[in-house]
Amino acid sequence: MNLETKSGKLAPEKADIEAISGHQFPGGHYRIAHWENTLLTACTGADLLSDGLAHPIALFHLPIVGSGTSIAELFALGQAESDLSIMIESYDWEFFQSLREETDYKVAGQVASARRCQDAVGNIYDRIQFCFEVFDPGQELAARSTITWHYTRDTL
Amino acid sequence: MNYTVGSELPEWVMDPVSAERMRTMAAILRDPNPLHWDRDAVAALPLGLGRRTINQGPLGLGYIVNMLHAWAGAGCIRRIVMRFPQVVLDGDRVTARGVITRFCDEQCTGQAVCDVWLENAERGVLLEGTARVVLPQGIHES
Repeated sequence: MNLETKSGKLAPEKADIEAISGHQFPGGHYRIAHWENTLLTACTGADLLSDGLAHPIALFHLPIVGSGTSIAELFALGQAESDLSIMIESYDWEFFQSLREETDYKVAGQVASARRCQDAVGNIYDRIQFCFEVFDPGQELAARSTITWHYTRDTL
Repeated sequence: MNYTVGSELPEWVMDPVSAERMRTMAAILRDPNPLHWDRDAVAALPLGLGRRTINQGPLGLGYIVNMLHAWAGAGCIRRIVMRFPQVVLDGDRVTARGVITRFCDEQCTGQAVCDVWLENAERGVLLEGTARVVLPQGIHES
């Protein structure tokens, strides 16, 4: 039976949320184009980095798109009530080498964990963690991104 | 230049956070969330934020990255973990700051761990976390 939230809306079943833990994304490749890095870097207010280095914030979308998923699909996987209902708990980015433009990266990703939680005032939410690994053309692990989001239920 | 535990990193300022940059970012990220490009969607939320779009999390994190790059050079970051206690809004003036909390042991020689955060004069700390960075030539532990 679905859990009823404070206003009477139905939240997804706890078991359905927990069942996505371990879900593997298709995997694939991603190449940061020069134009993309130029615009991305400008958005941060910085000058383009030298020697073809990509701005590190590419480690947000590179793994998501490269692993064959999308932000919209990540929202849907956790049965988000709306695009507005997702809150960020944390981003954990590990760089074993600098990311570069125009380099083919192989990406693998999965749902690392998914569990039902309750905040201090009794609102339920689902804490879903995604983990992506990025490999350089030599198959060396280049970077890892761990995204932890809260799928709030009936709080907006 | 010598740094010790407790040394503050040179600050990096974004003034102002730009709605136009959020729109470009949304396109690059393929992020469908209207909070980043539709002021009316934000105004409709019961959060009292007014008609100001909400900065993407990675973009705010990018200001921290820029501070670390300005201090220790591009490619210096080995790990960064950030939490997001408050939103960053278009029109905000935000300052990225950091302080060295320790120097790493033999296994990561030449690296330092820093507390890092993004703050706004009116609302306080918006993002907070830790970063491990490689110290470049010319920056020394003392």
